[in-house]
Amino acid sequence: MYKHDVLIIGAGLAGLRAAVEATRLGLDVAVISKVHPVRSHSNAAQGGINAPLTDRGDDWEGHALDTIKGSDYLADQDAVEIMSSEAGDAVIELERMGVIFSRGEDGRLGTRRFGGQLVARTFFVGAITGSAILHVLYEQALKHGLNTYEEWFVTDLIVEDGRCVGVVALDVKTGELHSIWAKAVIMAAGGAGRVFEPSTNAIICTGDGLALAWRAGVPMMDMEMVQYHPTTLARTGILLSEAARGEGAHLLNSEGERFMLRYAPQYEELASRDVVSRAEQTEINEGRGIEGNVLLDLRHLGREFIEDRLGYLQEVSVEFLGIDLAEQPVPVRPGVHYIMGGIKTDVDGATIVPGLYAAGECANVSVHGANRLGANSLLDTVVFGRRSAVHAADYIKSVDAGSGSDEHLNETKSRIQSLLDRAPNENWAAVRNFMANEMTKGIGVFRDQRSMEGAKAAIDNVDERINKISVQNKGKVFNTDLIFTLEMEFMADVGKAVVHSALARKESRGAHFRTDITERDDENWLKHTLAYQDADN
Amino acid sequence: MKFAFYPGCVARGAGPELFDSAVAVMDRLGIEWVELTGAACTGAGVLQEKDQKLGDILNIRTLAMAEQLGLPVLTICSTCQGVMSQADRRVRRDADYLEEINSYLAEEGLSYSGNTTVKHLLWVLVEDIGVETLQKTFVKELSGVNLAPFYGCYIVRPSDALGFDEHPERQTSLETVIEAVGGTVVDFPGKTACCGFPILLINQRNSLRMVANHTGTASELGADAMVTPCPLCHLNLDGYQPKARRQNNRGKADLPIIHLPQLLGLVMGIDTKTLGLGKHLVNTRDIVRKVDSIPVG
Amino acid sequence: MQAKLKVSRFDPETMGQGQRRWDEFELDVHPSATVLDALIQIREEVDGTLSLRCACRASICGSCGMRVNGDAKLVCKTRIVDTFKDGETIVVEPMGNQAIIKDLVVSLDPFFDKVRQVDPYLQPDAEPDQGEFVASNDSMVNLLTAMNCIMCGACVSDCTVLEVDEAFIGPAALAKAWRFVEDPRDDQRDERLKELNDVEGGIWDCTRCFKCVEVCPKDVAPMDRIMEMRDMAIEAGNTNTPGYRHTESFNKSVKKHGRLDEARLAVESAGYTNVPRLIDLAEIGIRSTLKGKMPPIVPHKADDKEKITRIFERVESERK
Repeated sequence: MYKHDVLIIGAGLAGLRAAVEATRLGLDVAVISKVHPVRSHSNAAQGGINAPLTDRGDDWEGHALDTIKGSDYLADQDAVEIMSSEAGDAVIELERMGVIFSRGEDGRLGTRRFGGQLVARTFFVGAITGSAILHVLYEQALKHGLNTYEEWFVTDLIVEDGRCVGVVALDVKTGELHSIWAKAVIMAAGGAGRVFEPSTNAIICTGDGLALAWRAGVPMMDMEMVQYHPTTLARTGILLSEAARGEGAHLLNSEGERFMLRYAPQYEELASRDVVSRAEQTEINEGRGIEGNVLLDLRHLGREFIEDRLGYLQEVSVEFLGIDLAEQPVPVRPGVHYIMGGIKTDVDGATIVPGLYAAGECANVSVHGANRLGANSLLDTVVFGRRSAVHAADYIKSVDAGSGSDEHLNETKSRIQSLLDRAPNENWAAVRNFMANEMTKGIGVFRDQRSMEGAKAAIDNVDERINKISVQNKGKVFNTDLIFTLEMEFMADVGKAVVHSALARKESRGAHFRTDITERDDENWLKHTLAYQDADN
Repeated sequence: MKFAFYPGCVARGAGPELFDSAVAVMDRLGIEWVELTGAACTGAGVLQEKDQKLGDILNIRTLAMAEQLGLPVLTICSTCQGVMSQADRRVRRDADYLEEINSYLAEEGLSYSGNTTVKHLLWVLVEDIGVETLQKTFVKELSGVNLAPFYGCYIVRPSDALGFDEHPERQTSLETVIEAVGGTVVDFPGKTACCGFPILLINQRNSLRMVANHTGTASELGADAMVTPCPLCHLNLDGYQPKARRQNNRGKADLPIIHLPQLLGLVMGIDTKTLGLGKHLVNTRDIVRKVDSIPVG
Repeated sequence: MQAKLKVSRFDPETMGQGQRRWDEFELDVHPSATVLDALIQIREEVDGTLSLRCACRASICGSCGMRVNGDAKLVCKTRIVDTFKDGETIVVEPMGNQAIIKDLVVSLDPFFDKVRQVDPYLQPDAEPDQGEFVASNDSMVNLLTAMNCIMCGACVSDCTVLEVDEAFIGPAALAKAWRFVEDPRDDQRDERLKELNDVEGGIWDCTRCFKCVEVCPKDVAPMDRIMEMRDMAIEAGNTNTPGYRHTESFNKSVKKHGRLDEARLAVESAGYTNVPRLIDLAEIGIRSTLKGKMPPIVPHKADDKEKITRIFERVESERK
């Protein structure tokens, strides 16, 4: 039996930042992750991390205001205040841990501009900021001798007497199930982009954390708020960072027009993501696209600049499309990228289930509201990852460990056995691909009652099929077929929450833009949607 | 066909049989050559560890000497090929750097402008002479002889310095030559790996494990001999094979290591003494006997 | 577009260690599909028992290192159309030098043990009173070379030294070490260099074979980093190694004669006081002499040796 003070699910930025904090506080901490920590999807964050650094003339109020405006006023202002005011220390701390942030002439941290903000306050490492921070946090984890369960897949949360006291998890390498007990569990399991197709998200972003918490009774909040990133690479859906536009790249339609000058004369290409994605989609819908894409043009930035500051963008454009950014504009389109919605928490990461915390993309504090500003996600992870750990450390002082009973473990064992015993029928991939395509169709950049009902019908269909999915691989060792089937169940839960939340919100706000109700309705809808598992909406 | 000949230190030092066999073979092929007797050692990557620029100056100097003669460089050493190609690539990519390097050569009245190339004999055989013409110089065909290729690292990596884009045939040139002489290629994973020579004097245990693995595996796969265009590989695979195989329990040292020109010499009917086949530490008697038993014609 | 794949399979529950099976698949793939796309297609549509690791599909997470037609690659960035001849069979195997867990999945434990071995975290003596460390942008851009490493294991897979010696720290971990040695904010530079110089499997064990440079999908060029650390270690006063003596002797020979003096190189690398090693060299020397190929006692010299010496002197004086 495994036992810790605090167990953190997920080893991306939020998880590792929480782990480092909890370790510093002297707790017995462990991180459990279905992939090795350095494989986490935080890697994919490219452009940077926002922070208003007061010692160089910026102020947190400015950042907070931009964030709230960007959120279309749905973000909670107290939460945003905390994030903005703690941002400076958070970034400086990362630098001191070893992050190789880009510098100015004076040797101090340099910035670039990002969308939805008129001030340059985004700190960055080329176009690999997420990866560079993740690896440094992993270094810190190694330094502190952090316990890790690498390639362990959490199947269930253990809830006893209304408190979360641990997890049941599958050791992927051996195929054995185990209970891991902890006085507090911090959910930092990342996003759910795979509920949609295409998406910039990794194959591992299947909403596990969201679904696990949901099943434990925590509501998912604002799940209709799905961010479409304006610049994802044609066909592959790979992200091309907003940093490109932050550094001066233009968006062009088929007529060579910089169309953003029409849609957002003040912010131009750096309007908030919902605005830019809608503009692109409008251009495409009105026949000024190029095979379903618009063009991102970096040519005027020059080869040297592109390779120095946006090297990774050049790498993926060349490798995946054969396009040299210094020579040719690259076709891009809006693509599912991030989910503003998530496990409802307070500003300390606490959920309504005692002992269960959440941070990072799976959580909704809410600081992003209806639209997240670029480079605020990394900030969110480190600020609220840390706060969750601090609060959890306090919480565990007054609680006992769970029972240690094998009951939960045995339940999971028999559930998984029955899954393996199912007669051949549905295949998880077919169900996933069907659902994800339908979700993108129904809950798109633009949506209306009919499209959303279409997505709901798809989810209902998935509901019927999901219990017929059979696992072809009956073995124990590295049975990814089984893992994907369990992930499919998580994705179906998330899809359900998204569809019901979207249908509930009878207005347009941020990423939730209804062509049948185009106005924001502050009188009735300046509020969050909450989706519970039991109730149907 | 005329070249500025750069034999490399080993062919002029510890491996005289390579120089002698190469010269004999080039004569048969009608290759004219003038030796760059004033050229320096390429540095073999060792000099470059300490000072890459110094290495580049020496190698660009060699290229400049050839350029002055209006000739391409011909080498018979994989390591020399690679090190010179790398230096050449660096100056071709960066005009300022070339200018800086040239400033060290000005005193001698030398200057490099990128108007020459460096080519291993192996590549010349495949690209400039061609298999068909090459075969016309042969007097026998090595059918039934199993030959394992061993390239040497620097003639296969880093690939972007070696012109593989324009000359993809270079990547399989050694197999092409083995087939051209009528031999059977013994393919094995070690053929493009390291022979261990660069660490022979630093970590002999590891170096000899490499020798034992490569020669042992090729033997087990039925090779009668191993052919290499790299004299440094030859030094290790031949000179240290007895000790390496003994220490690592990989059987007797039974795999002759043949320099590329020696192989050609054998099928051209050049006598074994000229080819220096008696100068190897691993006895070449069996392979020579096998070749001798094949009738001429 | 048609693609033919031959995939190495291993199931520890039904096969013995070291065994493998080859499965062949013919697929209709998108014209710009990658090898990963093809493998995912197999997994989703043909054979759900196929195990492999992958996550980001965008060459940043480092999960999908595998050997493709013999060389370690990130399969997510290996486009079929660019990499293979028309109709060529694509042979996919797990990475080398690492134990196979199942099919294309290898154990990464030794990889990360080596990373741990180099104390892979910043060790400043003190933190600034306020704000960040001040450091030049160039010094950070320099580190980007190694920070581009995504720990995919491709270099470790194909490292020719690790093939014969498990103790070698290896290209990835040494590149990681370089990242701290070169970081102006780290105060353990000399200690790190001494350790990497002295430890078994340290910087001097690399053979300079360029395999890691060739297979690295992120241009980290681990071998170049190792070579830089050799020079830095020497500069920091670590001169009691055969590696140092080898480099010095090589330099001396080329400087003096324009050529390499193999006999002296061997003796000097061993060290004049290393009697067992000298006896060993003498044995090889005597046998070579008997075969008539001992390196000449009077080394072969370049005609232009004075000119070459002058170049050395000029570069050396500029270095100081």
